Amino acid sequence: MIEALAFYMFATILIMSALMVITARNPVYAVLFLILAFFNAAGLFILLGAEFIAMILVIVYVGAVAVLFLFVVMMLNIGQSNVKTGLVKYMPVGALVGFTLLGELIWLYTSWDISKYAVHQRLAPILAEDSEISNTHALGEILYTNNVYLFQLSGLILLVAMIGAIVLTLRSRKGVRKQTISEQVSRERSDVIEVKHVGFGKGVQ
Amino acid sequence: MAEYEQLLNIGMAHYLTVSAILFVLGVFGIFLNKRNMIVILMSIELILLSVVINMVTFSSYLQDLTGQVFAMFILTVAAAEAAIGLAILITFFRNKGSIAVEDIRAMKG
Amino acid sequence: MEQAFLIDYFPIFVFIMIAIGISTMAIIASWIVGRQKPDDEKTSPYECGFEPFEDARGKFDVRFYLVAILFIIFDLEVAFLFPWAVSLGSIGLFGFWSMVVFLAVLTIGFIYEWKKGALEWE
Repeated sequence: MIEALAFYMFATILIMSALMVITARNPVYAVLFLILAFFNAAGLFILLGAEFIAMILVIVYVGAVAVLFLFVVMMLNIGQSNVKTGLVKYMPVGALVGFTLLGELIWLYTSWDISKYAVHQRLAPILAEDSEISNTHALGEILYTNNVYLFQLSGLILLVAMIGAIVLTLRSRKGVRKQTISEQVSRERSDVIEVKHVGFGKGVQ
Repeated sequence: MAEYEQLLNIGMAHYLTVSAILFVLGVFGIFLNKRNMIVILMSIELILLSVVINMVTFSSYLQDLTGQVFAMFILTVAAAEAAIGLAILITFFRNKGSIAVEDIRAMKG
Repeated sequence: MEQAFLIDYFPIFVFIMIAIGISTMAIIASWIVGRQKPDDEKTSPYECGFEPFEDARGKFDVRFYLVAILFIIFDLEVAFLFPWAVSLGSIGLFGFWSMVVFLAVLTIGFIYEWKKGALEWE
């Protein structure tokens, strides 16, 4: 009963905020609604028993990805966009594609039944709830050993993302005077000071 | 009364329907926001979120943890995609001074 | 499928309810106690005596974006470290070295951005 109530609350807020993301006129509001959507998806994951994924969603998505979007919106300083013009122009095609897709998906999902043979093909069965092993621990046991290639692949993807972002956006400014501490520290007295003996009436050369 | 029971017993179909609606909203967002590429990137995030909901739902109802492992990889790829996509967006904005999709027609900036 | 572990989240639920209650009370109390005299000038931006020159929203520097990118990458790295740390006792040496290789790959990226000067704030 409580689970059903929580599900309907999370699902409703999730869908409403997703709707606001795509229709909000101010991109800053769109990002804020995206954050709300991620929060409620995390709630759904907790209801499903995927506690670790819920935590990742809050930490990585709400904490980092949404902030990244917010930075970009602030950085480019885009004003209000007029959704209406696009709405009239693309609505017929969009509605056709969208509702066809939605109808097909719901038709498929509501008639989905898990085959009894599928149970025998599980790769990593979730243990019973009363066992001592938590969701995070069970995830760790298969993430680094059974799925080691995918794990290393995700590391490489992160590397590519990091290097790609630097290559695309980093511009070093010309004519910036920088302090190089090692040079300052390694200066010797003999490098910079010269003692001259100046005779009478000759001046300094 | 039977329909009422079905509403209260949250099953796999409920979660999958939520994910389907989210997916369609993401596709809608791509159609709707031709003037703002950032919202298109956010729509892609919504689509990926719906995929993750699908993965976790099947993982939970099949009692198989592999779905959650794949959900983690999808989240990783989504974050990398957001980073690269926004970097491309910034470079594009620098060169053209706009982020409208209609302005993307040249192969070379 | 009523799940028994959901009862563990009851304290969080209580905290959220208390937080919502207190913040709602604060808003309502300030609404009741404070004097309400709305005026356009009160909400307009104020700059010592003259009309504001420009929009209050200034542009950010692109360096903030680069810092945010680095934050995302290392945030995900830490996210992968959590299950590894919890299950290190049962995944053995293979799991340990698998994570070391992962960290080494990301360290290459870290060295690259350090040498490239992405971490410098000019």
